[in-house]
Amino acid sequence: MSRRGAPWAAVVSPVLLLLVWEWASASGVLREALFPRPTTVAATLARLVADGTLASHTLTTLGRIAWAFATAGVLGIAVGLAMGVWRRFSQGVDPVFAVIYPIPSVLFLPLVGFLVPAGEVAVVATTAVTSFFLVAYTTAHGVRQMDRLVMDAAVHFGARGWRLFAGVLLPGALPFVFTGLRLGLGYALIVVIAVEIVGATTGLGAFLWLSWQVLKVDDMYATFVVIAALGAVLSYGLAALRARLLPWIQDVAQ
Amino acid sequence: MTAVAVPLALLALWEAASRLGALSPRYFPPPTAIGATLAGGLGGDVGAELSVTFARLGLAFALAAVPAVPLGLLMGMFRPVRAAVDPYIALLFPVPKIALLPFLMILLGVGEPAFVLTGAISAFFQITISTQAGVQTMDPRLLDVGRNYGARGLTLFRKVILPAALPSIFTGLRLGVGLALVAVVAVEFITAKSGLGHLVHRHWQMLLPTEMFAAFALIGALGLLVTRGLRALQRRALAWQESTDPL
Repeated sequence: MSRRGAPWAAVVSPVLLLLVWEWASASGVLREALFPRPTTVAATLARLVADGTLASHTLTTLGRIAWAFATAGVLGIAVGLAMGVWRRFSQGVDPVFAVIYPIPSVLFLPLVGFLVPAGEVAVVATTAVTSFFLVAYTTAHGVRQMDRLVMDAAVHFGARGWRLFAGVLLPGALPFVFTGLRLGLGYALIVVIAVEIVGATTGLGAFLWLSWQVLKVDDMYATFVVIAALGAVLSYGLAALRARLLPWIQDVAQ
Repeated sequence: MTAVAVPLALLALWEAASRLGALSPRYFPPPTAIGATLAGGLGGDVGAELSVTFARLGLAFALAAVPAVPLGLLMGMFRPVRAAVDPYIALLFPVPKIALLPFLMILLGVGEPAFVLTGAISAFFQITISTQAGVQTMDPRLLDVGRNYGARGLTLFRKVILPAALPSIFTGLRLGVGLALVAVVAVEFITAKSGLGHLVHRHWQMLLPTEMFAAFALIGALGLLVTRGLRALQRRALAWQESTDPL
């Protein structure tokens, strides 16, 4: 069902909320030290954008997400397809994955730090862990739910190796792959912020944490607005991209 | 067979590599040593840390599920509710909730309410959205049949809408508890001074990898228990439903 009816409500109600907030902080109903007025936050945001602070942190965070997402995506699709096709492989890795997958990604930071030098690589690798599992699991599921007949027909007509993979398996599993990628991107954003809070001095997560530690509440709000916008853009951007590039497939999980 | 052999082979390989020095035992202690530490209680009260994390997770989950399921149902059934609430849900759902932690700590102080609430908010949006989707994507024929047989109001809700939405609600609860676990453990790792996440952080800072890996194993087990447990519950409670979701 589409979201019909009263589209103006979607605009009016947030605007109203901001106005009430503005009035409440200005008149002292809300403590301004904790709830700065929306106009103050907007001014802070403008200042931090103008002096380049936010741009540099945003680019750092985006770069990390991009690397982590690419790594998780490529490895996840490859491993997921192998899991889907090759039962033995799937049975072997499943118990290992089952224990590692529920461990929240941030915790891998120390472990990854043992393997690679602390720094960018560690941050990116940590960010990629959970996304990798999401992509791999959904891809494997996508292969398993494919119509056996399609596979048999392809093999019968001589599709082997790379052609079978790129011509049959990947397109067949694509809706699931895409869902995995979308979920993986969402997780990558959550994790990168958490990792930046504990293990980095740059990026939006680090800047947010620094603002909290020195109690620059205005900066906190401004950074949060950027993080929220980033989340919305990544999430809805990917959905729009799918509708554009792959209009025939459906997202399998809302 | 393979399911047992592969993990065992990996553990054996790790054991050998660590004992022979191919993997630095300073960073990767042999699994048997980790097992021994785990059995010895990690040199402290592991049970206490485990129950702290478990309590935070349970509280966060309850705080999320109790308002989220009714809200999702209302949003699914009534268009005005949907129109009023949807913009906020849509805007806040993709935000990494861990970014709310500093705000909650400013408002509530550095302590349990802020930690638990971060976990609760993480789960809340997922549960709301799944519940709403469960109502909205139900087969409209079910509604027609229910109405034709005279079901109205509460009866229609209890006998038709709720059962149709249940699988999706369950999926939302399961994904929600996973998200709450991520948030709770991350908060423990970042700032709380107790819980399994803190255990990893403390032993990392003290460079005691054996204890750190032991804490890892506990968190993995807790995650496995919670997600698999809910999945088994779902299968049992909704036996008529064929599960199709991949995660």
